[in-house]
Amino acid sequence: MNRRSRQAIVAVAAVLSVAMALSSPGCGRKDERKTIRFWQFWDIAVIRPMVEQFEAEHKDIRVEVEQLTWKSGLEKIQAALASGTQPDLCELGSTWVPRFSYEGVLEDLTALYEVEADSFLMWDSAIWKGRVYGLPWVQGSRALFYNRDLFRRAGLDPDRPPTTWAELLDAASRIDALSPDIYGFGQNLGERYVLYKKFMAFAWGNGGVILDGEGKVRIAEAPTREALEFYLELSKFSLKEKQEVLDHHFKTGKLGMQISGAWNLGNYAIEAPGLDYGVALVPKPAADRGVHASFAGAEMLVVFKGSPVRDDSVELARFLRQYQRAKALSLAAGSVFPASRLALEDTTFTRDPKLRVFMEQALTSYTAPAHPGWIEMEEVINRTVEEVLYGRRAPRWCLESAAEEIEKIASKFEKQPE
Amino acid sequence: MRSVQGAGAKRWLRLAALVVVVVVMAYPLVWMVSLSLRTPEGVGWRFYRDVWQAGPFDRYFVNSVIVVVVVLAGNIVFCAMAGYAFARYRIPGGSFLFLLVISTIMLPKQIVLVPMYILMQKLHLLNTYWALTLPFLADPFNIFLIRQYLHAIPPDCEEAARLEGAGEFTILFRIVMPMMRPALAVVAIHTCLINWNSFLFPFILTHTTSMRTLPVGVALLSQGAHSIDWGHLMAGAVISAMPVVVAFMIFQRHIISGLTTGMSR
Amino acid sequence: MRSNRNKSGAGRSAVTLFLLPWAVVYGAFFVFPFLFSFALGFLSYNPLNVAGTHWVGAANIARLFHDPDFAQALRNTILFVVGTVPVTTVLALGVALLLRGRIPGKDFFKAGLFLPSILSVVVISLLFKLFYAPGGALNRALGVVGLGGHGWLTDPGTALPAVMAMDVWAAVGYYAVIFYAAFAAIPDELYEAAELEGAGFFATLRHVTLPMLRPTIGFVLVINTIRSFQVFVEVLVMTQGGPLGSTNTLVLHLYETAFRRLDYGYASVIAYTVFVLSGIFSIVVIRRLRPGYATGGGGA
Repeated sequence: MNRRSRQAIVAVAAVLSVAMALSSPGCGRKDERKTIRFWQFWDIAVIRPMVEQFEAEHKDIRVEVEQLTWKSGLEKIQAALASGTQPDLCELGSTWVPRFSYEGVLEDLTALYEVEADSFLMWDSAIWKGRVYGLPWVQGSRALFYNRDLFRRAGLDPDRPPTTWAELLDAASRIDALSPDIYGFGQNLGERYVLYKKFMAFAWGNGGVILDGEGKVRIAEAPTREALEFYLELSKFSLKEKQEVLDHHFKTGKLGMQISGAWNLGNYAIEAPGLDYGVALVPKPAADRGVHASFAGAEMLVVFKGSPVRDDSVELARFLRQYQRAKALSLAAGSVFPASRLALEDTTFTRDPKLRVFMEQALTSYTAPAHPGWIEMEEVINRTVEEVLYGRRAPRWCLESAAEEIEKIASKFEKQPE
Repeated sequence: MRSVQGAGAKRWLRLAALVVVVVVMAYPLVWMVSLSLRTPEGVGWRFYRDVWQAGPFDRYFVNSVIVVVVVLAGNIVFCAMAGYAFARYRIPGGSFLFLLVISTIMLPKQIVLVPMYILMQKLHLLNTYWALTLPFLADPFNIFLIRQYLHAIPPDCEEAARLEGAGEFTILFRIVMPMMRPALAVVAIHTCLINWNSFLFPFILTHTTSMRTLPVGVALLSQGAHSIDWGHLMAGAVISAMPVVVAFMIFQRHIISGLTTGMSR
Repeated sequence: MRSNRNKSGAGRSAVTLFLLPWAVVYGAFFVFPFLFSFALGFLSYNPLNVAGTHWVGAANIARLFHDPDFAQALRNTILFVVGTVPVTTVLALGVALLLRGRIPGKDFFKAGLFLPSILSVVVISLLFKLFYAPGGALNRALGVVGLGGHGWLTDPGTALPAVMAMDVWAAVGYYAVIFYAAFAAIPDELYEAAELEGAGFFATLRHVTLPMLRPTIGFVLVINTIRSFQVFVEVLVMTQGGPLGSTNTLVLHLYETAFRRLDYGYASVIAYTVFVLSGIFSIVVIRRLRPGYATGGGGA
């Protein structure tokens, strides 16, 4: 070996040693406190003060917070579970809690539910086989956004947004007729995870059900079929595109109405300050029947089984869900509201007419069925709506195939694991 | 350098074609920069300020630099060695071994995610610089590149040196590597690029703020649950891209500097 | 042309030492994940319930033949590879040729070419999502000649070609730089000889440049193919495999199967399908493009 190669190897070794010296953060410091490992999805700048206050009130506990990305966060949770290094307290979306409950990796929190049942919304997804495994933290539903300017131009009263399907269809067709580059309604197409949320609002409003209490698949029945047929009818006056495109058209006054979430309130204020728009409940089938239903998602706090600090984690969860903190998080994030019922009477949320609609809508919003196979079923419904909107097959047949597939998925989960 | 393909009058045509190509390539970057400067209050640097102040961005930057420097050093040395071995020596089971080398890039890394996590956890390397650097020290891409590059160069210089009694390591480091400068420049550029922009494994294998790298920091800042924060995302992307541009500028000069040395004797 | 150096002990120990660092990295960090992911193919594995892992034999493999999503993903992925790799390679070669010789501001051009590679795939995909939207740059440009207004990514017929076009755009500059570097290895004498014999542009291309570039062309083809078989981030960001599965790819299907359906076993066989396809292609190309300097050096 000559000088050059020796030099090279020494250089590499030196760099690696420096790296080693700089690594392992926090090693060597002895800490007598208990540690709660908490993984969540929100901006750590918002969460850290809350956690620090918890530590101040519980001097024997240290909290390690990790922020996950919405896109890849779930992969990390899965990897952690696979290797037995999962956190103690974790945030999970309401669509995932049923699967985790079914697999038996979550601590049973029914005792807490018995105390809190009436003070929080959005419990449904947390309940599996009569036991409760998740604690609702924040929630968000979807409401109807409409452009008041376009309403005026179409001869509609901007203070009387559509409340029934017939009115919705009428408004959409009138606005759509205004000009070739103006559309009446916005329907999501060309992307996946969102489709079912927009469509199911109509199905649920019509009394449609995917799975009933006994686990029977009811998606092909009349109420959902009627909703899908209506949705197809509505598509004639709709811009069928991805969410970014729908948002862009709405902000530039080229889209009459769309169903979307509260995050737009902040966005539109910044990016389209001159836009004259209103928010309303999702229309129901007719004045005398149905419900102003919508989709709602919730973020839940769960404790993983086998956590050495189970009780402390539950305490932290309770702390984070206390109204003032959930409210601080909601205001910072701008896309959700506290799951606590106190929000329904809080003037911060009820004073503004647009926010008030979201609070009202939350009362008649549905979450996805609390079934462990939901993630796969959601895919089936997305595909079904897609096929109908692309005109590949009629609603009836699409729904019947969907029902078959959903039954197959449901049967995979009949046996409890282990 | 005299001989050139298509010199002379055709040069202007080529120049024009190059300009078109560069405009097409650069357009999205220009657009990206414009999106990052377009704040609601008018043209400004606000997004950049926000990005730099959100979280310890200087720490993310330093982490990314450490990772890239270590991985780069490792790759230049180790891949040159392995690529040289594959190009010049008849190795028993050489084809199979070479396939083994590129096997790591043929398997989608998504399926390797969980086992790699488990492995790192068992080795107690989670959330350390080791996890961010060690697995990436000998990228098969580079080994393959060097092997192919050497295939186009006759081993005459090496034979001559060997006859004069030079040892194998001397030959590699003093004779072959300087001849391989253009390939090594590509290795450097490629390695910097891949590791600087790498998101998935750095995200999965670390879990404290202090160990985050730049792409992870940018993602956490700008990717909301339901909407993309364009201004911040683009500012973060521009900040992330700048060092790579610099690295490219540094290394790409070496691509042409190896031209006349050692070739024509 | 490899010498008989393996006969001498010094040569043999040198080879071992040369391969050692790679071998250590591979042995320490890739053997376990490879074995693990290979084993997954024969198991039913769910990270949430590792204790419940059980043997299913060839059931996962058999499933490949009954899964319409897999068939669609396979078809789309092959279309993607076939549609982008040759185009990218030819264009990259062409661009590299353009860069030959004395050109004012050559560094500027090289840097410009390389810009798409510098950006993360996610950022590029997001930008192109806007680019392809109705009202986006492409449609506005087409609108000038009266053709705009198409939802490129929402039309099942145009979604995949749109993603392919983006991929070619993103990759050409990168491979052009690699080709450009490979030019450096071509000895000047060959070009001088060709000039003396009065060879024109295309003749020189055919008899000097291309044969000398064979190893690099092989490299680019193999690397680009392997990478293209694994197209994923672009479709995840831009279309999520839609519309109607027209942009579903093998790795996207793998990702869904593993991380959303929690069926790592089946995901593994999808992964190994990609592996096998890449492997077959790589073997074929590497075999066919053996060392070129001994055989193809024109009049050298």
